Amino acid sequence: MNAKARRRVERLYQGKKYGVGLLFMLPWIIGFCLFVAIPIGWSLFMTFNKVQVSVGGFKYEWIGMRNYRDAFLKDNVFPIELITYFQEMLLMVPIIVIFALLISLMLNQKFPGRFIYRALFFLPVIFATGQVLSELFLQGAGDIPFLEQYNLLPIVEEYVGAQFAGTVMDILGKAVLILWYSGVQILIFIAGFQTISPTIYEAVRIDGASPWDSFWKITLPACVPFISLNVLYTIIDLFTFPLNPVLAHVRDNMFKVDTGYGYASALAWIYFAFIFVLIALVLWLFNRSLKTRRAHS
Amino acid sequence: MLLRKLRKITAFQAVLTSCLTALAVFMSLPIIFIINHAFKPQNELFLFPPRFFVQSPTFRNFESLILHASNATVPFTRYLFNSIIIAVLTLGCVILVSTMAGYVLAKYRFHFKGLIMSMITLSLMFAPETVGIPRYLIISGIGINDTYFGHILPALASPVAVFMLVGFISQIPSELLEAAKIDGASHLGIFARIVLPLSVPAVATISILTFQGVWGDVETSTLFMQEETMRTLAFYVNSLLSGLQNSVAGQNMAAAAGLLMFLPNLIIFLLFQKRVLETMVHSGIK
Repeated sequence: MNAKARRRVERLYQGKKYGVGLLFMLPWIIGFCLFVAIPIGWSLFMTFNKVQVSVGGFKYEWIGMRNYRDAFLKDNVFPIELITYFQEMLLMVPIIVIFALLISLMLNQKFPGRFIYRALFFLPVIFATGQVLSELFLQGAGDIPFLEQYNLLPIVEEYVGAQFAGTVMDILGKAVLILWYSGVQILIFIAGFQTISPTIYEAVRIDGASPWDSFWKITLPACVPFISLNVLYTIIDLFTFPLNPVLAHVRDNMFKVDTGYGYASALAWIYFAFIFVLIALVLWLFNRSLKTRRAHS
Repeated sequence: MLLRKLRKITAFQAVLTSCLTALAVFMSLPIIFIINHAFKPQNELFLFPPRFFVQSPTFRNFESLILHASNATVPFTRYLFNSIIIAVLTLGCVILVSTMAGYVLAKYRFHFKGLIMSMITLSLMFAPETVGIPRYLIISGIGINDTYFGHILPALASPVAVFMLVGFISQIPSELLEAAKIDGASHLGIFARIVLPLSVPAVATISILTFQGVWGDVETSTLFMQEETMRTLAFYVNSLLSGLQNSVAGQNMAAAAGLLMFLPNLIIFLLFQKRVLETMVHSGIK
């Protein structure tokens, strides 16, 4: 076989492989385009329009950036809710991640019945679908009664100042929720701990390091990528949380006559942009810390 | 034997176990609450402060729920039938479509692969509420309003399922697939005989997640279905709850309906849980 023929056969083989790959992808791609990609694009288009429901369907009227301007200048609920929610989230994310880290450290120890505990901590994630959660909150099972009983608010106010006291109290009230929302993070951490080889711990122990030292010097640095993964996951998880007040506001605006779907989409896109910036920031920070560590070692 | 085992437990382990037990009990409180709540008789539902455990359990709540439903224009069983058939069909289709996509994304090279992967991660972040109306327009454009397709097709292209499967399937050694190829297996043969059986744990996980999504979904029923007979149990329970929220008489039905919506999730989870935890640890993602 000469070189030319061989190349042709090779190309045919590669082409066939590409074709097979795309063929397997095809059903998913069609579904994705129809029900995810096109709707998302469409909603972006709608943000620049005033969308009105009329008899024959939807009526679009191009208004450029006005929806976005209205969101910040005319709407007196949206910016406040956005800021409050972000404040809450900035506190919640570290709490959830640190809590998950502690629990997973405990679960990583050897003790009888470990598997059952792992399953128990993961269980809530499976149930934490919107309906069950909102039902629980409606019936008040998510609250902790001692907050009101012991009148903690003045104490909290004294320590963190009046403007943050409300947020802190909110978070304390959501303690159950924090527990419920850390299942996946705990598993990610446990999986991460398995990547550290036990011989390192042994070597450090022989050199005379206490478990405390080996946590700070070995476990924590090795976990940085998993911490960043968990932070991202938590942000996304909280962001699409069904009881989220910002999304509730978006939903309310969807079917109002004077604001309409275009405006609601614009709100959602602003929200999306904020989250995106936050995620980019987190990624950048973690990448930088990884790089400096590598430069040091 | 038992004594020797007990003696092996150190003080540290004892403290650890008791700490974790306390936390675990604290976490399972809401679940216990839901179950107990559904069996409380009317007078216990309104006790203040509310109690966790039911004193004299009854089935009255379920009876009145079913009676209430049978008085309506569409019988309760119709909603149940719709929900079950939709859940089963969606589950089957999602598993097939996403394992196929996950397989080639993990093991093949083709055009636009990078684009597809980044689209998947991006769409994970997007809140589903905002695409409701464009989806409605597309669904009515193809003309699948008021059919089971309208329920099933939107759930079909699930980014989460593919995202998880790609991670899992890429851990299957390529040598195995090559060996099968040398032995003369076709692409479809490799997929059906090797990849599918090996990814059962991941498939179990996405089954649970998909089942939950479909079982609790009210969006397709509210937006795409105009016929009452095509709507699902979740929609029925939801409208029942929102209609009864402020009435005293409805509270017992709401409690029973809450348990009814929650129970299938629990059963599915118990069926698959061991395999799920395996996958979670392997792929490290929900």
